[in-house]
Amino acid sequence: MRSDRVVVVGAGPAGLEAARLAAELGSPVTLIEKRDVAGGMPIHSDYAALTHHFRSASGAMAEMIDAVTSNHLIDIRTGTEITAVDGAAGEFSVTLSANGSTEDIDAGAVILATGFQHFDPGRETQQYQYYEYADVITIAEAEKMLKDENFVTPSTGKPPERVAFIQCVGSRDRQIGNEYCSKVCCGISSKQAIEIREMVPAARVFIFYIDMRMYGYWENEIYWPAQEQHKVNYVKGIITEILSKNGRLVVRGEDTTMGRPMEVEMDMVILAVGMEPSQGTRAMADVLSLPTNKYGFIDTDHDILDTVTTTVPGVYVAGAATGPADLDDSISSAGAAAAKAVSMLRSATVTV
Amino acid sequence: MGTEISPKVDPSRVIEHETYELEGVDISGHWNRMFEQRVIFDYDVEQLDRVTALGGGESMGYCYQCAQCIAVCPVDHVGDYGPRKIYRKLQVGMDFFTSDDLWLCTTCGNCLRVCPKEVDMLQIIPAVRKEAVLEGTVPPELQDVFEKTARYGNPLGKNSKRRHAWTKGLDVEVPIIADLDRKVDVLWWVSDYPSYHPRGMEASRSLARVLTKLGIDFAILGAEERHDGDSMLRAGEQGLFEMLADQNIETLNKYEFDVLLTTDPHAYNAFLNEYPARGGEYNVEHYSTFLAGRIEELGLSENIGSKVTFHDPCYLGRQNGVYDEPRELIEALPGVELVEMWRIRQNGYCCGGGGGGMWLDGFAADNQNMRLSEKRVLEAVETGADTLCVVCPYEVSRFEDAVKSTNNDEALVVRDISELLAQAMGLATG
Repeated sequence: MRSDRVVVVGAGPAGLEAARLAAELGSPVTLIEKRDVAGGMPIHSDYAALTHHFRSASGAMAEMIDAVTSNHLIDIRTGTEITAVDGAAGEFSVTLSANGSTEDIDAGAVILATGFQHFDPGRETQQYQYYEYADVITIAEAEKMLKDENFVTPSTGKPPERVAFIQCVGSRDRQIGNEYCSKVCCGISSKQAIEIREMVPAARVFIFYIDMRMYGYWENEIYWPAQEQHKVNYVKGIITEILSKNGRLVVRGEDTTMGRPMEVEMDMVILAVGMEPSQGTRAMADVLSLPTNKYGFIDTDHDILDTVTTTVPGVYVAGAATGPADLDDSISSAGAAAAKAVSMLRSATVTV
Repeated sequence: MGTEISPKVDPSRVIEHETYELEGVDISGHWNRMFEQRVIFDYDVEQLDRVTALGGGESMGYCYQCAQCIAVCPVDHVGDYGPRKIYRKLQVGMDFFTSDDLWLCTTCGNCLRVCPKEVDMLQIIPAVRKEAVLEGTVPPELQDVFEKTARYGNPLGKNSKRRHAWTKGLDVEVPIIADLDRKVDVLWWVSDYPSYHPRGMEASRSLARVLTKLGIDFAILGAEERHDGDSMLRAGEQGLFEMLADQNIETLNKYEFDVLLTTDPHAYNAFLNEYPARGGEYNVEHYSTFLAGRIEELGLSENIGSKVTFHDPCYLGRQNGVYDEPRELIEALPGVELVEMWRIRQNGYCCGGGGGGMWLDGFAADNQNMRLSEKRVLEAVETGADTLCVVCPYEVSRFEDAVKSTNNDEALVVRDISELLAQAMGLATG
């Protein structure tokens, strides 16, 4: 049946913004979230401060959630999954599943905002001994420690004296199969380095990198302050491996601008893991028969002038479901997806 | 181009020390750069194009300078060399085909293991060396080995008729398959060093005793066996490899056997990965896996009373995935404690003998501050082990020399696993 309802899948930053804007434009919205709480990765993964404005993640997400819960046009369904989508643009039938029962709802358009998951550095390769050494953690785990304001070496419970970040873990790698740059990790590592220096002033922090990708204002807002005010040490040359010697972690690599091999002891190593398509993104690509790229992210129709329209009419995509995206990009694409969905529903004819 | 390097200084003879003090002055680091032109006046990228135009050389152009290769390149730890540095030097116009750098790679393959861009030095190095071989710009000591191998069928330049001289006077019988005139279960491909080198021969005698005690129906080729060619291929002598492989396949075609048993991981690699393309397909097994499958039958009863560390051969481990079996054998030895070195298994440190390195000792000494085998022996000593156990015939002599040159005669002995097994079985060794 024809419907002017917009179904938004995923209540992370992109989904919340798409739902908010579609409703603000006057469309009824059903916002579906698989997890029991809204807020997406920033809440689920306990992010501390957001990159790049250092605003509290929980504060920012609470504001986004308030904006949708206070709008009577938006129906939020947490703990709910989509198992089938039938019909065509303007008259979809969407099957929802929650607590073992199913329900079909009518919708005119679907916006996917199913996001990403963090790369698991133990899965593809044991190069960094992530599963073996307690003091080798990911930037996602570091976020939680920073949020709890208890930044300590996991094995000892004491504040670390020397901390190393390793960039590009699970990104830019042909062997792993993730050839893309994950865009945000350089900024997040630098942001965390600043937070660590503020929380544990005695800690020396090193960032080992191939290229620092601090585009636009991230350069002057994060990179320069990290180096100049917070005394974070940047070393060009990625760490090849982490070994244990005499009970301490030793990072091994090359200091490339010095042209010399390097073996340095560290208390803690933080792996700057990149993004991969989330399980939800993969599942929805199946449900909607959406083409994905070789990495499993959802393909848009590759028109540089339209970043949110998929090859299935009436289905739009926002945020990191299409590939690595920072928060600014996710919010922007969510706005574009909401506007296009509502505009399609209001146009006299629907092109199928 | 800018001024030429002063002819008074041969940069290849300048050795860089990571830390060095001269008459109280610290001159660590790149002090030898003083002898070279400082300013880069051009990027002569044609040299990079020459490499990437070769079949097998394509991936040299993929490098994005992450430098992960350097930490695991065995050569960079004793000299200033590594895959990502090769790329940069090519960008500034190095002629790789005539460069000393071309001959430092041991084709150990550890760089490829960690490379996010899959720059494949195992393909690149032989491809460039092949051109250098055609041009005749090969280090003389390696060229000498190429010629000996072509003439005598072995890199030591020994008489082929004496290939099985090690079996003379042995307390067990080692039959020659041509004399038996029948099918055997196991044809043992002994290889060059176990046939001719004094320490290799001792290990061979031990293995012959072990096989006999196990009741294995085995024979060797004797004078008909030649070098397997694998290291010649990595060293760039593709024509020599092809000649040897074809001759060996023709010889093997004359006889019937179930298992082709190799002592040498390089021969194992050749039979497994190179010979099939030339029509030689065999059920090939390395002696470490062959014996590990028979641990119960070995009857290991004599107490060895030793702390043993194990060196993974690149062409058994990293190239062909065999890590556990040699360790199972060591752990089965009575009174033996296996202690591991720092860099093992996939990350095993190269002994320096692969890819032609076996025959570039003088050349390597000119370009490195230490042999790779010496670096490895120091790591072995660091574990507190009294015995360095090996399963590759290149290594016994290399490591024994390194034990002497690093003054560790008192601390460490080098033994082939077959020698340790023979001892534990109550058999004679040596």
